[in-house]
Amino acid sequence: MTRLVLALLCAGCAAGGIPLDGTPPRKLSQLGLVTGFADGEVQYAEGVFPYTLNAPLFSDHAAKARGLWLPDGEAATYDPEAAFTFPLGTAIVKTFLLPADLRAPGDDLTIVETRVMILQEGGWSAWPYLWDARGRDARLTPGGAVLDASFVGVDGEDVSFSYLVPQRNQCQECHELRNAEGRREITPIGPKARHLNRADDDGDNQLAHMADLGLLDGLPDLSEVPTAVDWAAVEAEGVDALDDAQVETAARDYLDINCAHCHNPRGVNGETSQLWLNHDNTDAFRMGVCKRPGSAGKGGRGREFDIVPGDAEASILHYRMVTEDVGSMMPQLGRALTHTEGAAVVGRWIDAMEGPGCEAE
Amino acid sequence: MQRPSLLLALTTLAACADPDFPTNSCKKSEAASCVEFHADEVDALLEAVNLLEDDAEVILGAGTFLLDNQITFRNADGVRFAGQGIDETVLDFSGQPKPDSDDEGVQANGVDFVGAGFVIEDLTISDAKKDGLRVEDSDDVVIRRVKATWSGGPSSDNGAYGLYPVKSRRVLIEDSEAWNASDAGLYVGQCQHAVVRNSLAKQNVAGLEIENTQFAEVYGNTVEDNTGGLVVFDLPGNPIVGRDIYVHDNVVRDNNRPNFAPSGTVGVIPAGTGTFILASRRVEFSGNTYENNGTVDVAILSGLALESDETQWALESATLIGSMDGLDLPADGTQVFNYETSDIVIRDNVHTGGGTLVDAGNTDLEARQLGFLVDLLYGDEKVDSVLYDAIGESAYDADDPAGNSNDHHICLADLDGGTFASLDLETLAARFENLDFATTDDLFRPPAPFTPFDCDGFSGDPLVRPDVELSE
Repeated sequence: MTRLVLALLCAGCAAGGIPLDGTPPRKLSQLGLVTGFADGEVQYAEGVFPYTLNAPLFSDHAAKARGLWLPDGEAATYDPEAAFTFPLGTAIVKTFLLPADLRAPGDDLTIVETRVMILQEGGWSAWPYLWDARGRDARLTPGGAVLDASFVGVDGEDVSFSYLVPQRNQCQECHELRNAEGRREITPIGPKARHLNRADDDGDNQLAHMADLGLLDGLPDLSEVPTAVDWAAVEAEGVDALDDAQVETAARDYLDINCAHCHNPRGVNGETSQLWLNHDNTDAFRMGVCKRPGSAGKGGRGREFDIVPGDAEASILHYRMVTEDVGSMMPQLGRALTHTEGAAVVGRWIDAMEGPGCEAE
Repeated sequence: MQRPSLLLALTTLAACADPDFPTNSCKKSEAASCVEFHADEVDALLEAVNLLEDDAEVILGAGTFLLDNQITFRNADGVRFAGQGIDETVLDFSGQPKPDSDDEGVQANGVDFVGAGFVIEDLTISDAKKDGLRVEDSDDVVIRRVKATWSGGPSSDNGAYGLYPVKSRRVLIEDSEAWNASDAGLYVGQCQHAVVRNSLAKQNVAGLEIENTQFAEVYGNTVEDNTGGLVVFDLPGNPIVGRDIYVHDNVVRDNNRPNFAPSGTVGVIPAGTGTFILASRRVEFSGNTYENNGTVDVAILSGLALESDETQWALESATLIGSMDGLDLPADGTQVFNYETSDIVIRDNVHTGGGTLVDAGNTDLEARQLGFLVDLLYGDEKVDSVLYDAIGESAYDADDPAGNSNDHHICLADLDGGTFASLDLETLAARFENLDFATTDDLFRPPAPFTPFDCDGFSGDPLVRPDVELSE
C-alpha cells in the first residue's frame, strides 16, 4: 500500500519530487533539490550544480545562492546569447539571504526565500517558497509575502524596508518574453553564456565544468564565449577605479541584467516603453539617448529625456535607478532600496557621453 | 498564511446564507470552480488567486480587505472577480508602513490582470501605489460597478491611473467610478473595441481618456471636477493609430481642478479643459452637455501642438496594429505619421457657462503653454466654446470665410449655446515668441453654420461601432 501511494505521488515526476505539470510540493525539501541551510550556506542534494553569475540582479542587497538540476543523463544546449535550452524536468533554484550588516555582507545571513523554476510540459513555471524562521525548510507560498526587513547599512545606520517575496503570478513581471509567434512565455534570465562564463570557487570555469559533468552540450572553445563584467570585482575595487571604457562596459552589462529582462524588444512588460537596454542594442535612441518616454507617469519628475548625454542628473533613466519613490522606482519589482554602486556606474557612463545634451521643447 | 479551514467551510455550508455575501456568492455561481473569502482572509485570497485555474470565480465578502501587495491574475483565463457592491467590498492597498520608517511599502498596482476573459465587478480599489486596476494585453474584459480611488483626495502622490485597461481587445467599462488619480481616472489605451458608459470620473487630472484606441463608444458618463474632462488623443510612437471614436450623451462639467500631475503628458493640460481631441481621426462628439469648464469646452488640436517634431510621430507601417482601412495618413516611404487631426464631427452638444477662468486663473507659460496662449488671446473676453488650431490647413484668414480651408474635414453643427473659433496656432505662437501678442481680432470666428466647417458627417464610411457584447 505504501508503495502504491508513493508510486501515485510520483506519477508525472521527472525525478525526486519535481512535477512535470501542476503545482509542486508544499515543502521545498520534497522537491529533493535543497536539503537545508547550515553555516550560512544553502545545502543541495547530489546532482544539483551550484553556480554564480558575473553581473547579478540587485535585490535590496540580498545574497543569492543558485543551483541547477537536470534530469539524469540530460544536458542543456549552449546558446551564445539567449538563455540555454533545457530539457523537460529541469529545475533552477535561487535562494535569497539577507545580511545583518552590509559592512560584513557575507556574515550572519538570514535565509528568506527560495524561488524555483521548473520546465514543465506547458513550459517554465515559477514558484516562491518561504523559509521558516529557523531556516529548517521552506513552504510553497503562491501568494508571496511582504516582510519587514532591516540591516545595518554601510554607514552603520539601521536600514528598514519592505522586502517582497513575489507572488507566483508576479514572477512573470520579469520572467516573460514574447516568442516568435507573439505569445508570452516564461523564461529564465540568468543561465546565459555571458553570465555563467566565470571561474567557480575552485578556479574552474563554470561552463567548462558544466560540460565536463555532461550538463551542457555545444560549448565552443572558451575563447569564443562572451562574458559580462564581473560585478563583484567592480564593487570590490570601487567604481572610481574604472576607466571610461570599463565604465561603459560595466554600465551596459549592469543595465542588461537589471533592466533588459523587460527593456528588450521581446520583453512583454517593457514593450510599451520602446526603451531597449539589452547589452547588444546599438541604437542609441532606443537605448534612451534624447528619447522622451512614452509614459513615465510620475517617473520623470519633470525630466524630459531618458538619457541626456553628459548629464546623468537630468536623465530619467538615472533618476529612476536612484530614487526610492514608490511610483517612480525601477525596476518595478524587487527593489525598495537604491543600489548606490550600480547607479554610480550608470551615472558615470552618462556623464561621460559627449554632449551637447538634447534639444528641449 | 492560512488556508480556509474545514471548520469555516462547514460553517459556510451549514448557514442558510452568509450575511457577508448578500449579492454575489458561490451559491449563485455556475462556474466549475468558485471560492469565497471574507475580509480577514487576505492570505488565503492571495494564495487562491495565484493557483487559479481557467473559468474560476473568486467572490469577496463585504468589508475592507487590507492588502500590502497587488492582487495578480496570470496563468488563468475566464476569471470572474466579484465583491458585494461598489461600496460594500473595499480592497485597501494603503498598507501599514512601520512607525519611524519612511518605507512606503511595495510598489505595485491594486488589481492586475493579464489573460483572456476577465469580469471584475462590485468592489472598490483604494490607495493603490501605482494603478488601481491594470488590465494589459487581454481579451474580453468587463469592468462593472468598480470604483478606483485614493482616500486622501487629489494629490500628486496618488497612483497614476484609476481603471486602466491597456493593449486589450473588447473592453467594457460600465457603472464604474474613478476618483483622485494623478494621471487619468477612467482610461482606455491602445485598445481595439471598447465601450465606456454610465460611469463617473471625478477629481482626477484627466477624467476620462481614450488614447491610441480603435473603435470606442463613450456615453452616459459624468466627468466632473477634473483638470481636463473627456479627452481623445494619440501619443507619438505608439503602434495603434486611434480611430472611430463615438462620444455622445455625456455630461462634462466643472473641470477646473488645478493640475496636480507629478509629470507626464497630462501635466500640460490647463485646468478648465472640457475636452481636447488631439492627433485623432474619425471622432464624433454629439449630444454631450458642457457646463462651466473655465478654459474651453472642446479643443481640436493637431498632435504637433503637443510634439512639434513630425519625426517623433513616425510609425513603421509594418509594425502597426489594428485597422488602417480608409485612413489616409501622411506617409514617407515605409513610415506613416499620426499627428494630424482629421474627420471630426462636433454637433448637437449643449454649452453653458465656462470660458471665463482660463487654467483656474493660474496660467503658466512653462508648464501649460496652451492655457497661457488662450488666456493671452482672449484677455477679459469669454473663450469660444469650440477651438480649432488650424495646424496644417492650407489657408487661414481671420476676416474672410472664403480664405479658410477645411482640409482636415472638421464638421460643426448645432453648438447649442456655444461659439466657435479657429486660430492659426503656429503663426500666433511664432508672433508670441517675438512678443507680438495676438488678440481675438486674429481669430476666425464664424457664426453658424461655421462655413467652411459646415460639412455633414465623415468623409468616408460611417463610424465603425465597437464589437463589444453588451448586456442590454
